[in-house]
Amino acid sequence: MLTIGLTHYLIVSAVLFCAGVFTMATKRNAIGILIGVELVLNSANVNLVAFDRYRAGLMDGQIAALFVIVLAAAEAALAVAICMNFYKNLVTVDVDQGDVLRG
Amino acid sequence: MEPVLAKLLAASLITPFLTFWILVLWGPKIGKPRAGWVGLIGGMGVPLALSAVVFVTWFFTSPEQRAELTAAAQHSQVLWAQLGRFDVTFGVKLDSLTVAMHFMVCFIAFWIFFFSIGYMSGHADCVHHQSKYWRFFAYLALFAFSMLGLVISPSLLFLFIFWELVGLCSYLLIGFYFETDYAPPAAMKAFITNRVGDFGFIIGLGIVFTFLGTLDLEGAAAAFKTQLATSTGLFAPQVTVPIFGWTFSGMTLATLMGVGLFCGAMGKSAQFPLHVWLPDAMAGPTPVSALIHAATMVAAGVYLVARVFRLLTPDAQMFIAVIGCITLTFMALIAIVQTDIKKCLAYSTLSQLGYMIFGMGVGAWTAALFHLITHAFFKAMLFLGSGQVIEGCHHVQDMRRMGGLRTKMPVTCWTFFVGVLAIAGFGIPGVHLGHWKFGLGGFFSKDEILAVAYDRAYNWGRFGAPSEGHAEAGANGEARPANKEKHADGGTRSAESAAGGRGVRLAAFSSGSSEEVQHSAAGTPAQKAAGSEKDAHGAEGGEHHASEKDGVASGIQALPKWMFWFAILTAYVTPFYMFRAWWLTFMGHPRDHHVHEHAHESKMMTTPLVVLAVGTLVSSYFLFRPMLSHAAEAAADAPLVVAVDGEAHEPAAALLSLDHTPERDPHKKLVGLVGFAFLIGFAVSWAIYRNGLDVASRIKAIPPFNLLHTLLERKYYFDELYDFLWVRGCRAVAAVCAFIDTWVIDLVYNLLSGVTERIAAFSGRVLDAQGVDGFVNGISETANDLAEVLRKPQTGGIRKYVLWSVGLATAAIAALIVVMRVNGG
Repeated sequence: MLTIGLTHYLIVSAVLFCAGVFTMATKRNAIGILIGVELVLNSANVNLVAFDRYRAGLMDGQIAALFVIVLAAAEAALAVAICMNFYKNLVTVDVDQGDVLRG
Repeated sequence: MEPVLAKLLAASLITPFLTFWILVLWGPKIGKPRAGWVGLIGGMGVPLALSAVVFVTWFFTSPEQRAELTAAAQHSQVLWAQLGRFDVTFGVKLDSLTVAMHFMVCFIAFWIFFFSIGYMSGHADCVHHQSKYWRFFAYLALFAFSMLGLVISPSLLFLFIFWELVGLCSYLLIGFYFETDYAPPAAMKAFITNRVGDFGFIIGLGIVFTFLGTLDLEGAAAAFKTQLATSTGLFAPQVTVPIFGWTFSGMTLATLMGVGLFCGAMGKSAQFPLHVWLPDAMAGPTPVSALIHAATMVAAGVYLVARVFRLLTPDAQMFIAVIGCITLTFMALIAIVQTDIKKCLAYSTLSQLGYMIFGMGVGAWTAALFHLITHAFFKAMLFLGSGQVIEGCHHVQDMRRMGGLRTKMPVTCWTFFVGVLAIAGFGIPGVHLGHWKFGLGGFFSKDEILAVAYDRAYNWGRFGAPSEGHAEAGANGEARPANKEKHADGGTRSAESAAGGRGVRLAAFSSGSSEEVQHSAAGTPAQKAAGSEKDAHGAEGGEHHASEKDGVASGIQALPKWMFWFAILTAYVTPFYMFRAWWLTFMGHPRDHHVHEHAHESKMMTTPLVVLAVGTLVSSYFLFRPMLSHAAEAAADAPLVVAVDGEAHEPAAALLSLDHTPERDPHKKLVGLVGFAFLIGFAVSWAIYRNGLDVASRIKAIPPFNLLHTLLERKYYFDELYDFLWVRGCRAVAAVCAFIDTWVIDLVYNLLSGVTERIAAFSGRVLDAQGVDGFVNGISETANDLAEVLRKPQTGGIRKYVLWSVGLATAAIAALIVVMRVNGG
């Protein structure tokens, strides 16, 4: 009988994280990168909730996850605004074109 | 009424000063003829009007009112500055002398300004295409301001300030033709020579300020009188002052003070050792020679002596007399051989100034000032005449090229002749036209000076010894019983013993030029007695009366006889050379036809000549003489002053008066001695120069005369002597200084600068460039290199950043895990 344990959640989380990182690393579209970031954040949320459920048990993890969700929302709003400006300046959302600040 | 006259005199300074600035600031715009008229009206017209009002009012004011006015002006001075406890006040000296001098200066200056407009318009005065016509009148206006300020100054300080200002104007105007090669050295010579005199003046001022405590003329005179009477302050025996290594005290110090003040006059009035500048000053335009170097500024020296007369001791006066006598004689002799018409007049001026100074020295205060005023009139006229000649002959000044100009310039010729008569002392002795004696101004003024000189040289013995003159003086003493009573303290009742006591004191002080005499005398009973005598005098507050005057006289040595005879000799020389100048210029046959043909005269210039000729003929005796007699009151309490005739009215009764006993009357003696000197001088001159220069040149060739002629022509080698002593001396000192400068000071400096340069090079090239700069540059280069490395990863590609960060984080965690495994097991 397979019991769903902490490890499973962590595997899900790792998969999510990897998918997010992969998305960020491969997508040239800014919106795509934004989606990758959301994946990474949510993988972290999964981790937080999972650890709280299996280890701490004092609802700290859930609360931290809620915080992360709120922050993610705020970050998304900001990021979209950055994208808009990015587009306004470069007439594209291809992040490889935005290397103006390179060293 | 009372402040008005003083204010009018003060107001006369305003317009010349404003005119000066107007001409300085807008002169070039005002233009050539107009600047002259501005100068005439503003510079002298307005002051002349004011002065005339004052003069006429004063002329009709009674002596009592005059005294009140003088006192009122003295008391209404304005505080100008306060230096510690010393108040510097400015005001107006309002007395007969000021009024007479002021009017004389204004009147003569006005006509000279007038003449200048004509004279200067005929001159090419452009330098670098800029006319300096306006500049001439600006200087003249400044001179008018300074000269009038000098005349009205009530204190020695302001006298000195204006004194320097007229000196500056003189310098500027002598150097007016600065583009020539002769004018600038002449201007410098005048200025430097005057500095020498002013140095003595400063010493005199210093002594006045230190010992008399004030620079105000009245205050200083009062302090001097009190100190002389009470043997305090300046005359206190214990006071000694070292000056340049010599120690002076008492009467010697007072004499030094007088001599110092006179040194200023010696410079300005060009007296004997400092006379060299005046002939050279003829480099200036002729109106300037007339105004500054004949009529007014050079007479300022005499005016100064007149003003400080009450501060002069008998010894100082003797010094002044000697200087004056030397000047008047030797300069007159030089004038004989001069061929330049202006130079001839310049030497004549020197000689006449010597006369005035000599007059001051022998105590003939009034006579000297009277001669100043008569001389100002006729000498200004003579100079203007010479200016007309020079202008008319197109700048020929050599009399040898003139001759026969009377047909071309009759007005100049005859006005010049009036001047010659006046300076020669033309007059018919003993002839009276009703109340008035017959003669020109110069006749009276010289007669008065010579009369006093005669009296001092031959009649002086009557003082101190019982004689008729003394009895007369004693009668004067009787007329003032109040004084006698005061004088009765201390058992010195008789006038004889008082005279004796004062005589001892003066004698002791006069011989006190060597200190030993002074100190050895201090302890003797005789001196003690004299001391108590002095106290008795002090109790009277220094009030003069005849017996005291007699006492002073008995203590003063008589005038050496040679001085009188020198003056007499000059009385014969003066007509000779003046007649010679006139005859060579205007009479005889033309010697240079080119000059003669172009000669002309102009209205603008002859008008002043006629005016001044009339002034010479009438005004001086009628207008100025009575006023100067009255002015003599100002000098009445001087240690030594001799009254000439006409001054024996009440306030001046204390003056020593001339001996009028028939067998010793100086005037009678002089009639025989010099009464007809002018005729003899004219005759000899006419005999020699009647037919031009032939006779003169033949005389010149005779052995004793040729040496004399050379000596006179070279002016006794004074220029050479001064050139050798002072100019070369200066240059020698300068050469030594230059040598020291080059070989000592420069050497040290070069050494120091070399060392400094090396140190600087080391510090700059090594320490700074390599040390400090290397350190600073090193830091910046390191930062730069680091930045080069650090900028490499900053590619700007977001995806690379992600990869990097993930990769590195993964690596870090992997490493962490490995480490934990190894450690923790």
